[in-house]
Amino acid sequence: MIPLYFYLLVAAALFSMGVYGVLARRNAVAILMSIELMLNSVNLNLVAFWRYLAPDALNGQAFAVVVFAVAAAEAAVGLALIISIYRNRETVVAEDINMLKW
Amino acid sequence: MTIDLKFLVWLIPLPPLLAFFTILLFTRGSKVLSDIVAVGAMLTTFVIAWFVLIQAVFFTPHLGENPITSQFVWLSLGPSIETSFKTGTLIDPVGAVLLFFVPLTALMIFIYSTGYMASGSYWTALVEHGRPELALDHVEHERADHPEHTNEDDPNASAGHGHDKVIYDSAGRRIVKFDATIWKARFMAFISLFAGAMLLLSVADNLLLLFVGWEIMGACSYLLIGFWHNRIYPDEPDRITPAKAAIKAFMTTRVGDVFMLIGIAWLYSFTGTLSFREIFSEEVLHTMAATPALPSFGIGLSVAGAIGLLLFIGTIGKSAQFPLHTWLPDAMEGPTPVSAMIHAATMVSAGVYLLIRMFPLLSAGWTEGGPLTVPMTAMAVIGSFTALFSATIALAQRDVKKVLAYSTISQLGFMVAALGIGAYVAAVFHLMTHAIFKALLFMGSGSIIHSVEHGEEHAHHHGHHFEHSFDAQDMFNMGGLWSRIPVTAWTFLIGGLALSGFPFVTAGFWSKDEILADAFAHVPVVFYVLAFSAFLTAFYTMRQIGLTFAGAPRTHAAEDATQTDWRMNLPLIILAFFAITAGWIGIPAALNPLGINPFHEFVGGTLLEHPETLPFNWFPMLTSIVVALLGLGVGWAVYVRKPLAAGEVDPLKRTLGPLYTLFQNKYYMDQLYEGSFVRFFAWFSKTVVYEWIDRGLIDGLLHFIARGTEWLAFRNKDFDTYVVNGAGDELAEGVGNLGEAFKYVQSGRIQQYLAVAAAGLLMLAGVFVWAFFLR
Amino acid sequence: MDFIRANLLTLILFSPLFGALLVLILPKGNKGLARWTALLFSLIPFVLSLFMWQWFLAAPCHAIAEQACFEQQATWFPLLNSTYHIGLDGISLTMVLLTTLLTPLAIIISFSIEERVNLYMFLFLLLEMGMLGVFMSLDLLLFFVFWEFGLVPMYFLINIWGSANRQYASFKFFIYTMAGSLGLLLSIQLIGLMMHTFDIPELMRTWPGYQGSVIGIDVNVIKNVAFWLFTIAFAIKVPVWPFHTWLPDAHTEAPTAGSMILAGVLLKLGAYGFLRLVLPLFPGPAHNFAPVLAVLAMLAIVLGAFASFAQTDFKRLVAYSSVNHMGFVVLAIAAAAWVGMNGQGNSAYQTDAIIALNGAVLQMFNHGLSAAAMFALVGVIYDRLHTRDLTQMGGLWVVAPIYGGILVFTSMASLGLPGLNGFVSEFLVVRGVWPIGSGSTAIFTLMTAISMLGLLFTGAYILKAIRMVLHGPLNLNAVEMAHGRSLEITTRETIALAPLLVLFVVIGVFPNWLVDVINATVTRMLS
Repeated sequence: MIPLYFYLLVAAALFSMGVYGVLARRNAVAILMSIELMLNSVNLNLVAFWRYLAPDALNGQAFAVVVFAVAAAEAAVGLALIISIYRNRETVVAEDINMLKW
Repeated sequence: MTIDLKFLVWLIPLPPLLAFFTILLFTRGSKVLSDIVAVGAMLTTFVIAWFVLIQAVFFTPHLGENPITSQFVWLSLGPSIETSFKTGTLIDPVGAVLLFFVPLTALMIFIYSTGYMASGSYWTALVEHGRPELALDHVEHERADHPEHTNEDDPNASAGHGHDKVIYDSAGRRIVKFDATIWKARFMAFISLFAGAMLLLSVADNLLLLFVGWEIMGACSYLLIGFWHNRIYPDEPDRITPAKAAIKAFMTTRVGDVFMLIGIAWLYSFTGTLSFREIFSEEVLHTMAATPALPSFGIGLSVAGAIGLLLFIGTIGKSAQFPLHTWLPDAMEGPTPVSAMIHAATMVSAGVYLLIRMFPLLSAGWTEGGPLTVPMTAMAVIGSFTALFSATIALAQRDVKKVLAYSTISQLGFMVAALGIGAYVAAVFHLMTHAIFKALLFMGSGSIIHSVEHGEEHAHHHGHHFEHSFDAQDMFNMGGLWSRIPVTAWTFLIGGLALSGFPFVTAGFWSKDEILADAFAHVPVVFYVLAFSAFLTAFYTMRQIGLTFAGAPRTHAAEDATQTDWRMNLPLIILAFFAITAGWIGIPAALNPLGINPFHEFVGGTLLEHPETLPFNWFPMLTSIVVALLGLGVGWAVYVRKPLAAGEVDPLKRTLGPLYTLFQNKYYMDQLYEGSFVRFFAWFSKTVVYEWIDRGLIDGLLHFIARGTEWLAFRNKDFDTYVVNGAGDELAEGVGNLGEAFKYVQSGRIQQYLAVAAAGLLMLAGVFVWAFFLR
Repeated sequence: MDFIRANLLTLILFSPLFGALLVLILPKGNKGLARWTALLFSLIPFVLSLFMWQWFLAAPCHAIAEQACFEQQATWFPLLNSTYHIGLDGISLTMVLLTTLLTPLAIIISFSIEERVNLYMFLFLLLEMGMLGVFMSLDLLLFFVFWEFGLVPMYFLINIWGSANRQYASFKFFIYTMAGSLGLLLSIQLIGLMMHTFDIPELMRTWPGYQGSVIGIDVNVIKNVAFWLFTIAFAIKVPVWPFHTWLPDAHTEAPTAGSMILAGVLLKLGAYGFLRLVLPLFPGPAHNFAPVLAVLAMLAIVLGAFASFAQTDFKRLVAYSSVNHMGFVVLAIAAAAWVGMNGQGNSAYQTDAIIALNGAVLQMFNHGLSAAAMFALVGVIYDRLHTRDLTQMGGLWVVAPIYGGILVFTSMASLGLPGLNGFVSEFLVVRGVWPIGSGSTAIFTLMTAISMLGLLFTGAYILKAIRMVLHGPLNLNAVEMAHGRSLEITTRETIALAPLLVLFVVIGVFPNWLVDVINATVTRMLS
């Protein structure tokens, strides 16, 4: 078998890429995509752990499905928010949406 | 009979006192009613007093040992009756003598007053303060509105006749219709109070009640001397106004009174009583004479001596002895009946009466023929000095009343000196006779002045020049009155002869002679001084009579003088009778058809030890006769044989030269007192006490404290505002600044927030790993 | 009737309060209603006090330390052990009579007040309650409450209805008196703390002999401190020279009736405090301080007379005369303090001290009457002329003969003319104080002698006032200033003065109806 940590590494790498994307991307949609990446990496983690540590229980799978649902909902809401902001501010650059400040 | 008498004695002072209140409260609207009340009350008193007198003299043996007394507790003091203060009445021989002449003279003066106050035009309300033109307006108003003033005033008229004045203010509004009736009624009320107080003093059995009567008389003299209270003398700037004369009288006598009060307090505290009978017992007097007054100083003054001196000072004030005599001549500013009242019948007599009463105390430690005690020495010195001193002043006076005033002072000096040398009975005798003939003389002078005033108005109405400041009292404006006012003249002559001591037929002779006899026997120096004073007395009396009555009238006023009415004449006549006969009761034993001197026997019984009867000595008797006749003779020669013509200068002035001026100005004592005491105390009170001490020092201190507190308060406010408050403000500001500095964290940039969150998470993870896995 | 008799003092004390509250809610436009209501409610205590007097004579109580008359006690502050304890003896009886007599008269005089009558009468009745409370109270805290209570209405009376300088005068009066009262409060607290009671009769029995300490301080130290604080508080009120300078200002600027009550009653609060509290509670320090007090009394008599003589303001002249008269009271108190109370002191002079204190209490009563009358008379003139300047007056006797007569009569009473009331008390004081002490302690004798100078000048200033107001030619300026109004005294004012005038004579001629009561109490006090 492929050792577990292979999967974990991949998930970690994906997660890091996602973090990088969230912190460094200009476009708000790209940030959302990065967030999706993070969520998916989490999914990968979950499934890996499920398969290797407790294949008989359904917890891992169920949790992964929940994460999917949440990711989907969150993406929908996030995109809706971005569209709303775009309609008001004509921009989707995250840096420029800084009104809620001192 | 004695039981009734005790209560009757209480009734003696009562009617005039009640008359005072009755007139003031009820009858002040009517002169007639007030006169009736006053005279009626006095008449009642007179009847009761003489009834008691007769009972005491003829039906009470040994009055001295068994006087008529009655007492009650006036003030509860301390736990028992013994320590409480009792007051009451006492009629002993001396008291009986007073009961003789006080109601008599007072009654005469009352009757006289009803006539005196019916006319006279002193009721002017002059206007001061820069509006003399209004005064003339008023006078013109008055002259236009009212008819000519007549001599005889209808006592039933309540308005008009020039006594009720109407005063207008600058807008022409009538301010007041001045009603003179109320004042005429008040006069009778005041003299009633006066008489009541004197009688109270006469029947008192203790020193406190005596003092009460004494002071009330002082207050009455103030009210009466100042009776013409709104009178001023714009033409005579040196003349004292009645208002000021009243104050002068009151204050000068008050000086004596405060000393007397100390004496009374001392006596009371030392002996525990003020009752005469209790003080004048052997043991008490002996103790007082033996105890030194000031233990730590020991000047040789005993308690009796000290108290005696203090009481004597009271007499110096009240009886106008040197140096407290200056009030009496100025008291002539009051209406003449007042002068008669004060200076003859009552007030000044009260001073001498006090000394007579307190004689056992004053002479405690003295035996006849032995050395005089301290108070007696003081009395002898001051009395004889005053007698001479004021006799000299009387020589140079122009005012008829002033001569009599100084004469009174002089005669009182006689009495005081008499007591000083121990001539007890002589002093009482002279007190009695003096009261009678002096009252006569004063009333006579008032009669003269009234007559001259009427003459003045008569002359004025007949077109003669109206002098604003015609002095009706100046003897140099009189003359030739003998034929014009005979009743006054004859009675005045009799009084004058009595004063001079005309031999044998006048009361004054016998009393004065007794004093001289006693003086000659005991203290010859006093004898010579008094004898010389007697000479001067006779001289100035004859001068007075000569200037007033003899020769031709020197002014138109004197020319038109008319005799006064019966109300003023009757008392003169009655008193003239007594001025002649009263002395016969005290004819010395050697000359007396009865073989004894009844007066001496009677009065001498007052003292514990009957005073000795002096053996008769012809020298003093001869001296009395000689000085009297000599003085009268010289006066007659100068003023009657060649009477003064109008405008002529007093011949005495030529003789005495500068001495005359000195006498006339009363040795400048008034100015001395005014300059030293009066001005000093006015300055002292105003500047030192009020401005320096009260306002400057005490209030200054208070204000300083207040300002200091205020300064402190403001500093506190500053501290509060800047420090305390400031600290709070600073703190708030600091916090704000901190917030300002930190606010930049909230940049609104999401990725920043996420980065911070990620960093934080990493740190936490690190800490987590470190905490759980690396330790 | 039984109810009245059982609660007599409370009724007397609080009926003015009811009146005050009632007057406050009366409609403001109707001045007459307010005035007559106030008068009615001030007459109630007066009538009650007449009854009180009669009942007292029937069953007198002369030693408060043992038994006080009409005693009432109720709980007030149980935690502090302070009760509502009131009662009378001969001295407080006299003072209560004075207060309840003077207040209606002052209110009658106040009928000439035109502004804010309701408030005025309210304050006046409250003032009466305060004064009565001081005289009646037998509890230290209660005493203090009423003592301070009387200050506030007086302040407002002067401040609102006074004359030109009223702000300064009312402020000075209030602060000065209150400053003294602070010490009083502190001492009372200390005493209460130590003895666990504020009851005066009890303290009279236990405090002088108490030994011990509280909060680490020895009781003797506290006694000395308390004595001085008490003394200063009362000395300011009497007033003892040199704490007297508030008096001329306050009396002069106060409205007429205010001055009447100030001089008539409020000054007596201080003297009463001395008699009731200082002398019985602090016999030792009082004895030591007595000679100094005598000197101060003499200074009050003499300097008060001089200052009065210097005045050209009629009211200020009369105000200083109060300093002068109260000096006699203080002199007698000093003598009594030196002799000592309750047989603890020098009994050789006991009779003299009794006489002196009799004089003091009688002088308090007499001066109350004559000062009130004098201020009322000054007020009559001020009412018409709106000036108190004596130089603007003169010769008024012609246009106001009745007023002049009453003024002269009252002046005679004020200067102590024998036959009238002032003399009796002054004589008793002089007689009582003169012999006290001997040799080195002859200070009392010396002070009495020097005080005679003051007595001399008493005559001077009174006669000066009479001369400047009544004598001389009529000063038309005065008439102009009256604007056509008659200068003569009105019937109302005469009615207000009449009882006082009658009392002058009655007390002067037959004083024993009063002196007997005073004497019995004083004798018990000093023996």
